[in-house]
Amino acid sequence: MKESLEKIEKLIAEDDIDIKKVKENQINFIKNELKDLHCVDNFIGDFPTFIEPVHLGTNVTIGDDVLIGPNVYIGNNCKIGDYGELVNTFLFDNVIIGENFKLENCIVAKDSKLTFNNLKEFNCILMGQADSKKNLKKINF
Amino acid sequence: MLDKEELEIRRIQELESTNLAREEIRDLVIETKKEVEKENEILAERINKEFVRNNIKSFDIVGAIGAGKTAILERIVFHLKNKYRILVICGDITTRIDADRIEKHNAETVQINTGRECALNAYHIYQIIKNKDLTDYDLIFIENVGNLICPSEFTLGTDKRIVIVSITEGEWVVEKHPLLFKTSDITIINKIDLKERLGTNVEKMINDAKEINPNIIVLTTSAKTGKNIDKLIEILDL
Repeated sequence: MKESLEKIEKLIAEDDIDIKKVKENQINFIKNELKDLHCVDNFIGDFPTFIEPVHLGTNVTIGDDVLIGPNVYIGNNCKIGDYGELVNTFLFDNVIIGENFKLENCIVAKDSKLTFNNLKEFNCILMGQADSKKNLKKINF
Repeated sequence: MLDKEELEIRRIQELESTNLAREEIRDLVIETKKEVEKENEILAERINKEFVRNNIKSFDIVGAIGAGKTAILERIVFHLKNKYRILVICGDITTRIDADRIEKHNAETVQINTGRECALNAYHIYQIIKNKDLTDYDLIFIENVGNLICPSEFTLGTDKRIVIVSITEGEWVVEKHPLLFKTSDITIINKIDLKERLGTNVEKMINDAKEINPNIIVLTTSAKTGKNIDKLIEILDL
């Protein structure tokens, strides 16, 4: 994993998240590191649309009719439901997101399980185990 | 007796027709369909405004698989790379083979893999330009997925659309795909170096294009030998 991404992962695991630093590293990762990591060769499931740069980790499962990119990082063992759209968004390892999700400029913390449907979110950090929108832990940029 | 599959098909057909044809929502369904069609046009207009605002000349290239879209783009980029800052957006079902070919000529590329979609649409292009600093470019080419049918439905907001066919596709290829020629500004008939060997009636192809769209400019080229690439660049006013 690249330096900026590791920093973001650590920053969002803290109790008091330094949003400014998260944003700095997010911009740096997109600008300088993501293009070299572009990889969409291996995924399980349907045939999504990719707009590069996109990085897919190993063992990623993608549903039907999904648009991914540009500027998307998806860690290992993530699961994305049907009819999703991810733009300028990072999913760390083991994230599960439901159907009909649109995430733009979002970061989803490691091991988060968002198992409900129909979520549209912009400019925020999402985390936790949530079976509905109201139980979701969300920090706006 | 109906088998299980037949019953399932009937159930789904029934579901669609009863749900979408309900009296109370019929107008809403029709209106929604019309609005969805409008979305691509609105985005295409917005893309064009952005290009014009940033003094960017833009072209989208459509044509069948193997007609020579990438080969012609390679020639154009090779000729113009020192004159313009070029971005090429390449559409394909999968792989970045085309983007890699273009990148060898030192142009920046973005590959879109459409998965199962048969054409690029304005939303794809809008997502790219929204995340780019357009002041970094003077010239943008969009190479669509190889297809002569679906791209007619989606304008992409470029200044001009170029349709490329090749004489190996046969002399009926233009006549059989009128909508794409109606919505294009320039037709390139490529692989002209094979004319003698194949005996394709190129004049018919030219006449068909002009009959379908009297305003269309038609040019024969060979990406292999480089024939008429200079003329093409002239026509594009580059």
